[in-house]
Amino acid sequence: MPIKIALAGNPNSGKTTLFNALTGSNQFVGNWPGVTVEKKEGKLKGHKDVVITDLPGIYSLSPYTLEEVVARNYLIHEHPDAILNIIDGTNLERNLYLTTQLLELGIPTVIAINMMDVVKKNHDVIDVARLGQELGCPVVEISALKGIGIQEAAKKVVFLAQEGLPTAPVHKFAEEVENVLTQIEEKITGVKEEEKRFFAIKLFERDEKIKELLDCVPEVEDIVKETEEKMDDDSESIITNERYTYLSSIIEHCYVTKSKRKLTVSDKIDRIVTNRWLALPIFAIVMVIVYYVSVTTVGTMATDWVNDGVFGDGWHLFGIGSSEYTEKSDEFSDASLKTEAYFDAAEAAGIDVEALRASWEDGELDETALAAFETEAQAAGLTGEAEVMDDETGEVAETIPVALQDFESAVAVREPDPADYGVWVPSIPVLIEDGLTAINCVDWLQDLILSGIVGGVGAVLGFVPQMLVLFLFLAFLESCGYMARIAFIMDRIFRKFGLSGKSFIPMLIGTGCGVPGVMASRTIENDRDRKMTIMTTTFIPCGAKLPIIALIAGALFQGAWWVAPSAYFVGVAAIVLSGIMLKKTKMFAGDPAPFVMELPAYHLPTVGNVLRSMWERGWSFIKKAGTIILLSTILLWFLQGYGVENGSFGRVTDLNNSILAAIGGVIAPLFAPLGWGDWKAAVAAVTGLIAKENVVGTFGVLYGGLDEVAENGWQIWDAMRMEFTMLSAYSFLVFNLLCAPCFAAIGAIRREMNSAKWTWFAIGYQCIFAYAVSMCIYQLGMLFTTGAFGIGTVVAFLIVALILYLLFRPYHEKNKLTVKVRV
Amino acid sequence: MPLTMTRAGEVNEIKRIGGKEEVRKFLETLGFVVGSRVSVVAENHGNVIVNIKDSRIAISQEMANKIMV
Repeated sequence: MPIKIALAGNPNSGKTTLFNALTGSNQFVGNWPGVTVEKKEGKLKGHKDVVITDLPGIYSLSPYTLEEVVARNYLIHEHPDAILNIIDGTNLERNLYLTTQLLELGIPTVIAINMMDVVKKNHDVIDVARLGQELGCPVVEISALKGIGIQEAAKKVVFLAQEGLPTAPVHKFAEEVENVLTQIEEKITGVKEEEKRFFAIKLFERDEKIKELLDCVPEVEDIVKETEEKMDDDSESIITNERYTYLSSIIEHCYVTKSKRKLTVSDKIDRIVTNRWLALPIFAIVMVIVYYVSVTTVGTMATDWVNDGVFGDGWHLFGIGSSEYTEKSDEFSDASLKTEAYFDAAEAAGIDVEALRASWEDGELDETALAAFETEAQAAGLTGEAEVMDDETGEVAETIPVALQDFESAVAVREPDPADYGVWVPSIPVLIEDGLTAINCVDWLQDLILSGIVGGVGAVLGFVPQMLVLFLFLAFLESCGYMARIAFIMDRIFRKFGLSGKSFIPMLIGTGCGVPGVMASRTIENDRDRKMTIMTTTFIPCGAKLPIIALIAGALFQGAWWVAPSAYFVGVAAIVLSGIMLKKTKMFAGDPAPFVMELPAYHLPTVGNVLRSMWERGWSFIKKAGTIILLSTILLWFLQGYGVENGSFGRVTDLNNSILAAIGGVIAPLFAPLGWGDWKAAVAAVTGLIAKENVVGTFGVLYGGLDEVAENGWQIWDAMRMEFTMLSAYSFLVFNLLCAPCFAAIGAIRREMNSAKWTWFAIGYQCIFAYAVSMCIYQLGMLFTTGAFGIGTVVAFLIVALILYLLFRPYHEKNKLTVKVRV
Repeated sequence: MPLTMTRAGEVNEIKRIGGKEEVRKFLETLGFVVGSRVSVVAENHGNVIVNIKDSRIAISQEMANKIMV
């Protein structure tokens, strides 16, 4: 039997730092059963048989927050062998409040006073021996950040756990309260002697949840009422006051402070950082730096490297030889453009070049045929015209005349091989392909592994470096104490539409990628606020949605400047509307919990802790890529690649014959009211589930038969103009912006919701909302531009009415916050 | 008078705490009990950061209005 030790303490008391110091890398992170409160366990360094459980940070053992209930249930049901209670030495009284409650549980307890280095620096004195006497348990001084005294604390708590003697609380309340508690204790049966005081106090406080833990609940209401009347206060407040009175009395004996309440450094920083005028500008600057570095510079560079290098063609180690290669490669594309143009001109002039062109395309130029062609071309005085396209606008930027001499030199240019320049590292797909070919793997399996698994999961893993950079910043902001201030500053604004001040961070990150955005919602303690934030974060256009915007703007709106900003506006409006509407539903109703939050003192976090926090989040994402995302991409690979072709079922070469196309045909009419009932658009929206930028790629395949299109897809703009009107294109854009996010983000939602039901609800809500909004845009747009009026218009008006009703109906407050916990 | 009306830096004693029971209880565990000494550290559009029992707590204007000193 391993020894079980529970680590308990207030939030911001340095609990996580101590836990990391005690367990090192021997950690297991999960969730407490049934709730999204993180549970961490680890083995004590050097003691394989000692398991430490990191309880959530709590201020008391009352039943008001999820964290408190979770911690309390663990202590009562699992009955750890000992408790290590960490308290902040700079904030003794408040921290000891929890200690008095822990001591009542009868579990051997060691108190570790943290931040002793700061206490000493302030020239304050804590009489540790006396404090231990007064509280009736061993007390040790530590500094978790500096690693002082940790071994001693560990030794003491292990010793106490092995000894296994139950402790009795030493502290006493006022006489009348003690009398009542003794009376209640006598009525309690079926509970260990040392736990009786805890249950007696909880019964006195009328703690409903504790009654569920007792076999038989004694009738104590009369005595409680009597005492309440006598003391003119409710029972819970009586106990709270008693605890604080008791604590003040012992602190008087054990704590001498020299610094008589002058402003600390943290106070001074807060004066500036949360100042009425400076708060928002400072916040904006911090966010711009975070966003700029993680999304645009370092993050993008790293992501490009992973996408194009590790999971693409390969890369040049340390960039050696890459500039020479790029030069040669540019030269080649230039030359092939000229060659193509010349061939085209020859064809137009009636010269047969088919065989020659094929040999050139295969890279095995037929020299004799070439010589023959050149003579013929010279005789005809042939010149071609190479059209250089502008990647941005898709228009012809330049027309270069190609004479015979130009053609002769151009046709001789060979495609450069990147491996010839510098140190070339082949990519993972290339390596796997070589491996599979070497073992004679069957074709379909090779394709499944390469384009299905490696391609799909690789696309998702490409975001990992970017996320790690972002997580690094978040971990730093969190542990230095600024994150708590952000919530404070933003709270007034976000409160107005039912979200919390902390919802801002996920949304900001969501502009880069929805996955870390959703994951950043972890910092929101309030369950309702967090769920709502998770549901609305992906409305913000993420980086992968930008190509869709560019495609629609370019193809249908002549690249109008306002299309992209309007997409962000739609995203923000969707969040605000959803926030207000959802807050008024039963599910999210509840007291708009007033903002009360402890702000930790500012401090420089240790590198180890920041890196650890970054890695924990990153790793949980990588694990997900290995499960949900893997399965989803395999499924879509199958639907995309298989179907009936030439009368038999099997691998299809044309996407038009795939199962996905068939499904698209079935669901397409569903989107007819939105203005794009064409199956191609439906299929594109479905492939967007893998990654949103796939929408553009799919259009490329479906409209142009092109394997690859530019990011904004200019090659297919003409085809798009045939199929879409401005209105239907905008409706398509809005639907894709707001509907279910990609699989990776859905996976993140699943993890943060920690419930399949809530995940489905979130995705369902997003899709229905997207559908409703797109429909309104299309139908009402049709009405105003062409005057078309039909059933769709009526439905659109009904939707608008419904949304208005949901927005402005009176707000019903729920009286009670019910915290459901599976015990 | 309510806590929102005190000047920054001024130390006051809590006389009474109003508001919903649940929030009041939470405030109590954080040290907001009658008789505690409290001072406002900073103020941002009505929301305040207060110092109580050597810790910094941020509270919204609505709540701070219900803490009488």
